[in-house]
Amino acid sequence: MKLSKRITLLVSIVLAATILGVSLSLLLYVRNTTLSLAVEQTQRKQQNLSTSFSEMANYYAASSDSDAVHYSLIKLCFSRFADRYSVLMRDGEVIVSGVSVDPSAYVPIDDSAYSDNTPVAVTVQGRNLLIAGSAARVSGRTYSVYVVEDVTDVHTGIRRMAWIFAAVSFGAIVIGAAAVALLVRHSTKPITLLSDAAKEIADGAYQKRVAIRTKDEVGRLGEDFNRMAAAVETKITELEERNERQRLFIGGVTHEFKTPMTGLLLHAGLLRRANLSEDERDASLAHIESQTAWLERLTQNLLKLTTSEDDIEKRPVELPELLDEIREGVEPKLNERGATLSVQCEPQTLVLNADLWRSLLSNLIVNAANAYDADAPEKPIVLSVTGRTFSVSDHGRGIPKEAQSRIFEPFFRVDKSRSKRQGGSGLGLALVKRIADAHGASVAVDSEPDKGTTVSVTLP
Amino acid sequence: MKNRILVVEDDAAIRDAVLLNLQFADYDAVAFDDGKKAADALECDHAYDLALLDIMLPGMDGFELFGLMEQYGIPVIYMTAKTDSASEIKGLRDGAEDYIVKPFDPLTLMVRIEKVLKRVGKWNAVYRVKDIVVNTETHTVTKGGEPIELQPLEFDVLVALLRHKNMTVSRERLLSEVWGFDYLGETRMVDVKISALRKKLGLEDTIRTIPKLGYRLEER
Repeated sequence: MKLSKRITLLVSIVLAATILGVSLSLLLYVRNTTLSLAVEQTQRKQQNLSTSFSEMANYYAASSDSDAVHYSLIKLCFSRFADRYSVLMRDGEVIVSGVSVDPSAYVPIDDSAYSDNTPVAVTVQGRNLLIAGSAARVSGRTYSVYVVEDVTDVHTGIRRMAWIFAAVSFGAIVIGAAAVALLVRHSTKPITLLSDAAKEIADGAYQKRVAIRTKDEVGRLGEDFNRMAAAVETKITELEERNERQRLFIGGVTHEFKTPMTGLLLHAGLLRRANLSEDERDASLAHIESQTAWLERLTQNLLKLTTSEDDIEKRPVELPELLDEIREGVEPKLNERGATLSVQCEPQTLVLNADLWRSLLSNLIVNAANAYDADAPEKPIVLSVTGRTFSVSDHGRGIPKEAQSRIFEPFFRVDKSRSKRQGGSGLGLALVKRIADAHGASVAVDSEPDKGTTVSVTLP
Repeated sequence: MKNRILVVEDDAAIRDAVLLNLQFADYDAVAFDDGKKAADALECDHAYDLALLDIMLPGMDGFELFGLMEQYGIPVIYMTAKTDSASEIKGLRDGAEDYIVKPFDPLTLMVRIEKVLKRVGKWNAVYRVKDIVVNTETHTVTKGGEPIELQPLEFDVLVALLRHKNMTVSRERLLSEVWGFDYLGETRMVDVKISALRKKLGLEDTIRTIPKLGYRLEER
């Protein structure tokens, strides 16, 4: 059963029980009060009647009176106080009566019951009557003085009131239950909203949010839910982006491997199957060697690309020494291209991984040498260290503005054919970026086409 | 007359290997390592029967070169390292005859070249080895001008060897090229046909048995 239905049912039952209980007890109280009032009135009336009658009768009556005189006097005295509900009897005979019933049949009076006039409720011919009676002694004779009060109207009134109470209670219960249902539905609506939103998010609609604006706990839950959904969305987007980068990277790696693989397979096939001359065999072997060397370089760089901050070891390194080593390392390549390197550096000690840093700077220097057209008369390259910033500058072709944001992507080449012929793997700058990242260093590129390029790496 | 083939490929290893394979199969091959250079050369000499184009080329890429090829009526086979279907579809929709994905098998490349040349009607139907002339159109073989009778199967095996002249062809490959599909049958039948060919055509020394690999028809 749904929570809202369960709460509605439960609250409605409690509400109905409360309303019914209150109505019933109110009804009973009113009924009892009304009835006891009637009883009290009847009793007092009877008492007044009885007392007044007996006092007057005893005052005027004399024992010497004849029966006829006596009865006339009695009747006179009684009539003086009686109304249409009063009855005077003697020895079971009605002397004066305004009613059609014989009260002595319901409330018999003898001498012993002289003072007890508690009213008795009886129903005669569909009428509710209260009969109160007592004995009165006049000149040695005993009379019965009755008051027969018709309380049918009181009973009818109480019954009518009961119906009204029932109707009002029923109405209250119906309205109350409806109000409860609405209230519960309203207060569980956010839960339904959250549940629907959670389902949508689970189905991949990560941008889904809930609109719960109340200031209560449910509103806070809604806010928290939205915050969670936002966090999930951010994370998912991040993962998707990373996945996409990885996919592109793997695609790039595969593509890069295909060219040397093709060369290797073709020449291995020739060596194995073809009728080659001595020279042709040598040429094939040379191709196989160079293609394998290229693949080796590619795999070395790929391996370095997996470097992360956690697994590099940093040590204090003396600066001019490290730069001299780097210069020695790149010298053959620079000579080959006719480029000259000048190093500007003040002695200082920096904490870094010397092997990776050497690789980073060598890459930048060779890139700088390759930035010159082959027939450029001079190819100066400057490596300078200022504070914690290493920069490598050239006055070569420069990098087109639209390409500058992409040069650190693996396998991105500004000029696809040129860098390939220069032996580039397409991983050089990706490697630079990765090594810098692993050191927490930032990389900045300042380049203008045909003026030159400066790449700066700043240690934190 | 030999079929003339243009090769544009910037990777030296692949270019040299493809050139060698083409020469072995008696094609007249001309190679360029740069799209722009190839385009310039086409201006004065465009008498090619087929072009083998790499897609990522310096100077001018393979797709750009295609326009020129169309102008001169040269059918194109792309040699591409791109496996993504987008570039394949682009190549073929533009009207390229075929494409072959790197790394490829040189024997398959030869078969594809032959198919394209036949389709565009430029196929030189005549193979020559020593004083033997094999005409694949008339299905006739002459040796020193004298006609030689060959069984159909012997003829097809001879053509397959000639198609891959100077390259070793396995028995399985010979069978599959003769029947046009991978035939997992008796490779001994090939040996029988080879020895018949050697005998009928006097090619005992020319058709060499390469141990563990297959047969090679040599002529250099």
